[in-house]
Amino acid sequence: MSAAAPAFVEAPPRNDLLGWLTTTDHKRIGILYLMTSLGYFGVAGLLSLAIRTQLARPNNTFVTPHEYAQLFTLHGTAMIFLFVAPFALGLANFLIPLQIGAADMAFPRLNATSYWMFLFGGLVIFLGAATNEGAAASGWSAYPPLSEIKISTGLGQDLWIVGVFLVSVATILTSINFVTTVFIYRAPGMTMWRIPIFTWEMVATSLLVFMAFPSLAATLLLLFVDRHLGGHAFDPAYGGSPVLWQHLFWFFGHPEVYVMILPYFGVISEIIPVFSRKPIFGYTGLVLAAFAIAGLSMGVWAHHMFTTGFVNNPFFSFVSFLIAVPTGVKFFNWIATMWRGSISFETPMLFAIGFLLNFLIGGITGVMISSPPIDYQAHDSYFVVAHFHYVLGGGSLFAIFAALFFWWPKMFGRKLDESLGRWCFALLFVGFNVTFLPMHAMGILGMPRRVDSYAASGPLPALNLIATCGSYVMLAGVLLFVYNAVVTARAGRPVSNDPWGANSLEWWTSSPPPEHNFDSLPPIRSERPVYDAR
Amino acid sequence: MTIGLRLFISSATFAIGIALAYWFTSREIVGTFMLGFMAFALGFVATYMIVAEREANLIGDEREATIEDGAGELVGTYTIRSPLPLAAAAAVTAIGIGIVVSPTIAILALLATIAIGGLFIVQSR
Ligand SMILES: [Cu+2]
Repeated sequence: MSAAAPAFVEAPPRNDLLGWLTTTDHKRIGILYLMTSLGYFGVAGLLSLAIRTQLARPNNTFVTPHEYAQLFTLHGTAMIFLFVAPFALGLANFLIPLQIGAADMAFPRLNATSYWMFLFGGLVIFLGAATNEGAAASGWSAYPPLSEIKISTGLGQDLWIVGVFLVSVATILTSINFVTTVFIYRAPGMTMWRIPIFTWEMVATSLLVFMAFPSLAATLLLLFVDRHLGGHAFDPAYGGSPVLWQHLFWFFGHPEVYVMILPYFGVISEIIPVFSRKPIFGYTGLVLAAFAIAGLSMGVWAHHMFTTGFVNNPFFSFVSFLIAVPTGVKFFNWIATMWRGSISFETPMLFAIGFLLNFLIGGITGVMISSPPIDYQAHDSYFVVAHFHYVLGGGSLFAIFAALFFWWPKMFGRKLDESLGRWCFALLFVGFNVTFLPMHAMGILGMPRRVDSYAASGPLPALNLIATCGSYVMLAGVLLFVYNAVVTARAGRPVSNDPWGANSLEWWTSSPPPEHNFDSLPPIRSERPVYDAR
Repeated sequence: MTIGLRLFISSATFAIGIALAYWFTSREIVGTFMLGFMAFALGFVATYMIVAEREANLIGDEREATIEDGAGELVGTYTIRSPLPLAAAAAVTAIGIGIVVSPTIAILALLATIAIGGLFIVQSR
């Protein structure tokens, strides 16, 4: 027997706390990212329940107006910067090297650094709540003059700036890692036109991060200079302009919406073919649509500023309408994938279908408010709140649960319970729509967002009470998921490499995968190497 | 030309196009500057890739490559564990908190960050 020396000897995995604190393994970093973002989701969810409790009745005194402002600021900030976007980064961290047949990310230590910066950045944002004047209270978009030192006098706003800055730098670093990994570390035969759609969507997302996040970081610095170093960038008394903030912020803020949705388009594109028993319809079209959306989304920022009177409304309206075209292409591709497939309705597929239904509503209201005449009416009202919750809550959140149910067995080697999962879906789907569908009506009736009360007469009290009830149904759904995770961790049966009969390379290796990811690889001749080898 | 390079070239071209379209329809300076800067940055990456990739020949780009073809290829160092990332993130966070709370903390944290950065380089050797 020949005794070839191994290329390197793998250190035995450390499963203690120190092992997790010092890990540079993309799978562990991915799981840390996912669990941390779910933790922030729990906090942000509780904040939203406090909001809904306050709004259950008109003139309620559950919280003071200043506390209410902190609640919606932290809720928005945490959901956007600490949950929906970083959950995708966690998922991509876990999946990208597995999907392209690599051993790890291109820069493992940078990867770990990004994760810890994200964790600490979130904690710094929440640290504001412990200061004398409370946390930041100027909304997640922190418009001056509200966020300037004259009005937001407390430390909370400064900590918010620092925290969001850390998170945005972490996001940029992680995106550099993703793109480098996908370009350089693909396994032999895994050409770019064979990488799974989720990985493609993460390339598009990373590109968006490169284009959009530097604007956020720069804007935050300007605000800090204004607050403490005598700057007047956003102060009209000294020749500055609050509209400048809106330009710089939304130049980041709109693409951020796609940073929070493109990865989940990828999740849906992975799940639907598996449970339809068909290859994805229009692989190339889906990829090109992702880049079309990414590109166009850089040219629509001022649709958030239609009512300022300082922007070219027709230009931004037109480009916003255009985005509906590639989004529609994706939608038709998903439906065509399901068409005449032998569809089975396991929990991931239920959540994927829930995504399609909710996202459709959010997409249609989005096209509506792309039109300035409608936006003048809907601006800053609950109609807009309903719109973006249908995109990010009904869309991204449902895709997040789809992803959790789908990849949970790969991450932890145990399937989540199916019947509990169906109940979880039912509660979340009903709860979500009961909460947010009435908000369209509230908005049309003129209820402004970010206000802690409303008219005691007319239909608003009933609509708000319905919405509050819905939010507690959603809470039940989330708690059922937690219960499901705990129960199956104790009693679940170990799963095979490929419990769903799926297509991409992560299903080739064991569940959970070994530290080096793959003991062997199948020949890669299409975008479905595991299917080909079956 | 690799797809990655094509991606950056087409993105930069698109950015130039939309910057011009925006300027000629809106005559608004902030947005034009942002789009122009975006075009410049994407173009910079594309140019770098053209220079760096002239010799690039990735096994992952070959349609008929087998797994065995990639065997023995050195694709980088496989770092299993390192305490530096956590330390670096903590130090950078301390800079941020220090700027808000106390300049002394910020300066100490900055020195710590530089030291940890040095350790990163040492550990990479
Ligand atoms: Cu937008």
